[in-house]
Amino acid sequence: MRGNWMLVCCLGVMACLVRSALAQEQERSDKGSAVVASAGPSTANSNASHDRRSPPALRSTASAERAQRIEGEKRFRTNCGRCHQPPHKFPSRVMATAIRHMRVRAMLTDEDMRLILSYMTQ
Amino acid sequence: MLTCGLPRTLKRLAVVALVFAVGASTPSACAQVRSDEDVKPVPLLTGSAGFISNFSGGQPDLHPIATPLVLVPIGQRWVFETRATFENDLVQLPGRSGFHGGPVQKEVEYAQLDFIANSCMTITVGRFLTPFGIFNERLYPVWIRNLQSDPLILPIGIGPSNASTGGMIRGGFKARPQFNINYAVYFSALSTTSPVDSDRFAGVRTGIFIPKARLEMGGSFQHLLQQERSNLFGFHAIWQPTLLPLDIRAEYANSKRGSGYWIEPAYKLSQLPFLQNEMRRTQLVARYQQFFTGDLVSDALPPINTKQFEFGLNYYFIDGLKAASNYGRQFSSAGNLNVWTLGLTYRFVVPMGSAGGPR
Repeated sequence: MRGNWMLVCCLGVMACLVRSALAQEQERSDKGSAVVASAGPSTANSNASHDRRSPPALRSTASAERAQRIEGEKRFRTNCGRCHQPPHKFPSRVMATAIRHMRVRAMLTDEDMRLILSYMTQ
Repeated sequence: MLTCGLPRTLKRLAVVALVFAVGASTPSACAQVRSDEDVKPVPLLTGSAGFISNFSGGQPDLHPIATPLVLVPIGQRWVFETRATFENDLVQLPGRSGFHGGPVQKEVEYAQLDFIANSCMTITVGRFLTPFGIFNERLYPVWIRNLQSDPLILPIGIGPSNASTGGMIRGGFKARPQFNINYAVYFSALSTTSPVDSDRFAGVRTGIFIPKARLEMGGSFQHLLQQERSNLFGFHAIWQPTLLPLDIRAEYANSKRGSGYWIEPAYKLSQLPFLQNEMRRTQLVARYQQFFTGDLVSDALPPINTKQFEFGLNYYFIDGLKAASNYGRQFSSAGNLNVWTLGLTYRFVVPMGSAGGPR
């Protein structure tokens, strides 16, 4: 009986923490979108000045690579860090084997696997 | 093939497995694995080694352990993986000085062949770690676990030697932009050959992972197809708040032989404003757990209701090298006792071939 109460209390605390985290996430995303909205014109101006220096194709490729690297790092920390300390980068062929193992063990999605592999082998 | 003699639960599990298999192999549901990896994987010898000292109730016990893991990728879609354990228990014998142990215990923990069928389904055959809960399959190696002692409920649902002999279908996929789903459906046959023995059971584990909240929750179900033919179930959760360097893990398991739970928060001191180089390597851990006996007895589980509280401190020297220490107190009607642990763990990765270079 006492054990059941302990379990209920633990679950209650966890539920509160989860709700708090979700609320904080929501708040952060709201703030983030507000910042992006307010920074829009200045970003556009800086992009416009950048336009005069680099060809559009190169700029878009670099921008896509940067976005992919950021997303890869995010997926790496979110997925790998759930169970263990995120490791340092390994050589590319080592990482290719490790990610295949972790795809099975940690049940990574196909997208997560590709982004993490891309980030870890850059 | 299903036969009329099989119990209803097993049939349900088989139907679930079939639905997953058919659904996952449908081109619209999951695209085939594309061979767009830029590099050719190399066979790896990895794993961990550790030297753990336990002091339980005042009795010292030195525990050296090495768990090499061999990974052999084959072609684009196959991987063979096997992990062995070499360990010994060195104890003090009455009337003799020093520590003495028997022969080194050797065990093949698992040896499995994985076939990556498509982007959200992998088929595994052989001997594999039983996916009941999260500790046995994902947190067991000494370099991963935050506290070196096993949870009291660990033996529930994982079989006599922590592994199953049979087949498994598993995978993960993005169900919605907000969350991923992972699943494992497995069947294990009876094996009485020690140390690769296993029970006959079928089970399923599924989980939902919300990347934005960094929260994973899931449940496990297993039907034992021998002895008392009972059902086992459990729940697990892992949460990493984005604002704090905090991990919270918890697990609950229930069976005829006992039930219980553990909850384990771990906090890295990286946010402290002083000694930042040292603090970011330091982790505080605590675990509270309770075990309640069931209708049946089990050699692997405590014989009486038990609760245990532990807290510890880990220090990460470099990636893969960790010093671990913890103190705990166990409470039961048989008497309370202190549990101390000190240890050093190391994770190694050795490529068996050229480690770099494009295909």
